[in-house]
Amino acid sequence: MKAFQYATAHSTDSARELVAGNGLYLAGGNDLFGLLKEYLVGADLLVNIKSLPGLNKVEHGKTFWTIGSLVTVAEIEDHAEIKKVFPGLHDAAAEIASQQIRNVATVGGNLAQHSRCWYFRHRDTQCLKKHGDLCYARDGENRYHSLFTGNSCISPVVSSLATTFAALDATAIVLRDGQETRMSMAELYHGAWENPLAHNSLDKGDLILRVEIPTTRTRSAYLQVSDKHAFDWALVSCAAAAAVVDGKLKSPRVALGSISPVPHQVEAANSFLDGKVLDDATATQAADLILKDAKPLEHNAYKVPMAHAIIRRTLLKLKGDA
Amino acid sequence: MNNPEPENFGAHSRRTFFKSLGTVAATAATAQVRSVAAELEKANAESVIGPGAVPVTLKVNGEKLKLTLEPRVTLLDALRNYSSLTGAKEGCDRATCGACTVLLGDTPVYACQKLAIEAQGYEITTVEGLAKKGNLTKVQQAFLQKDALMCGYCTPGFLMSVTALLRKNPKPTADDVKHACAGNICRCGTHPRILQAALSAAGVATASKTEVVNYV
Repeated sequence: MKAFQYATAHSTDSARELVAGNGLYLAGGNDLFGLLKEYLVGADLLVNIKSLPGLNKVEHGKTFWTIGSLVTVAEIEDHAEIKKVFPGLHDAAAEIASQQIRNVATVGGNLAQHSRCWYFRHRDTQCLKKHGDLCYARDGENRYHSLFTGNSCISPVVSSLATTFAALDATAIVLRDGQETRMSMAELYHGAWENPLAHNSLDKGDLILRVEIPTTRTRSAYLQVSDKHAFDWALVSCAAAAAVVDGKLKSPRVALGSISPVPHQVEAANSFLDGKVLDDATATQAADLILKDAKPLEHNAYKVPMAHAIIRRTLLKLKGDA
Repeated sequence: MNNPEPENFGAHSRRTFFKSLGTVAATAATAQVRSVAAELEKANAESVIGPGAVPVTLKVNGEKLKLTLEPRVTLLDALRNYSSLTGAKEGCDRATCGACTVLLGDTPVYACQKLAIEAQGYEITTVEGLAKKGNLTKVQQAFLQKDALMCGYCTPGFLMSVTALLRKNPKPTADDVKHACAGNICRCGTHPRILQAALSAAGVATASKTEVVNYV
């Protein structure tokens, strides 16, 4: 790593002031140190934000839960009530990385992490995401890449918390220019859909403060498929959430990770499922709708049937929790 | 027999070189007559420090280490290259292999992906801090009895992960051990023995031979 200055911020105001030059926020540091060690990002100053007050709490009211951005992934995994109320969120957190990483990784950092595309992560490759002219994955090694994209970069979002938050229709509260801005998961990643240089919609200096999860969807489920059984990125991940009234789905939402620069959601599938009784046939039809416009590349076509299977399994898991 | 340790060969072996650096750093830090509390306060203040070396005080295995480090120095480098604690190993330096696992309090973390300056104020335990007065811990004994190591490079990391697991969950299942140790890689592939050792240290009946062989 190149040398940098270091400061600990004790208020969001001072954190923003400190980071304003060529500074970066430091929380868990898992993604940041990976980027710094490969010289993919540079910073003159790291601003440790872990002492910021009030951001490391899990709180709940009647209609929504609030998870602070400094809450660690391990704290979500170990939270007994989260496991009961949002089992999908628990399962997503438990599958993230390894125990050592979950112990320090924060919710904010998981949401804001950069692309895992191996062309982006290679320090000698000047790809589209690094102001180059070309996406090398498009005609290259693209087995881990997207089935959907709104631009020429095909690196997918890999935050499994984002996938789950999307299914739960959670809102991220982001501090931007001193004002709190509310962003759905679709909005939080829309920037990466449009702009090959972006990993999300956050501007420099933006700080994720907390995530609010409505309690309307009483059931949730998460599944992922990876090359390895543990400590691996998802090839495809799927989260689903809904309420069930008289055996019928109410306000169902399905989101997929690792197949698009944004948590992949298809409103047509959500409205199709609304009011339906879940069975194999409805789950299959929903999966068809979700993957209808998939554009597989040379090496990632396997993701289509894999995603199809995992959507069905996740939906049936939602039912199985009855 | 009076065989010199390998590191005593020559005046400038890698290890003595780094050890001497550590001594210089410690002496320099001590020379700056400043209480630990004041140093911590300085480190926690909102003032911007670095990029040059600054005083950093770590509490490792119950002892205070006063070092002078640039903010970019990782906890792993501080332990291995600026102190004499080479127990935590550097494998990947990318939070992937687990050889550098140490405990902050009771929590296992990758020392390669943590700045030393951030680790101030924590009780840090490395593999050197497990055995008290030369008596191996139950986990260490179990690793010996089950022959849970081949080259041994990953062993300090596994010992820390298993130790942390048993503190949190004294009677783990085989799945609990696999989940807790997923962030440690044994390149020699002795994962089944490590699983047996962890369960044996916890006094949990070891899984059948078949189950252990089918380690995934």
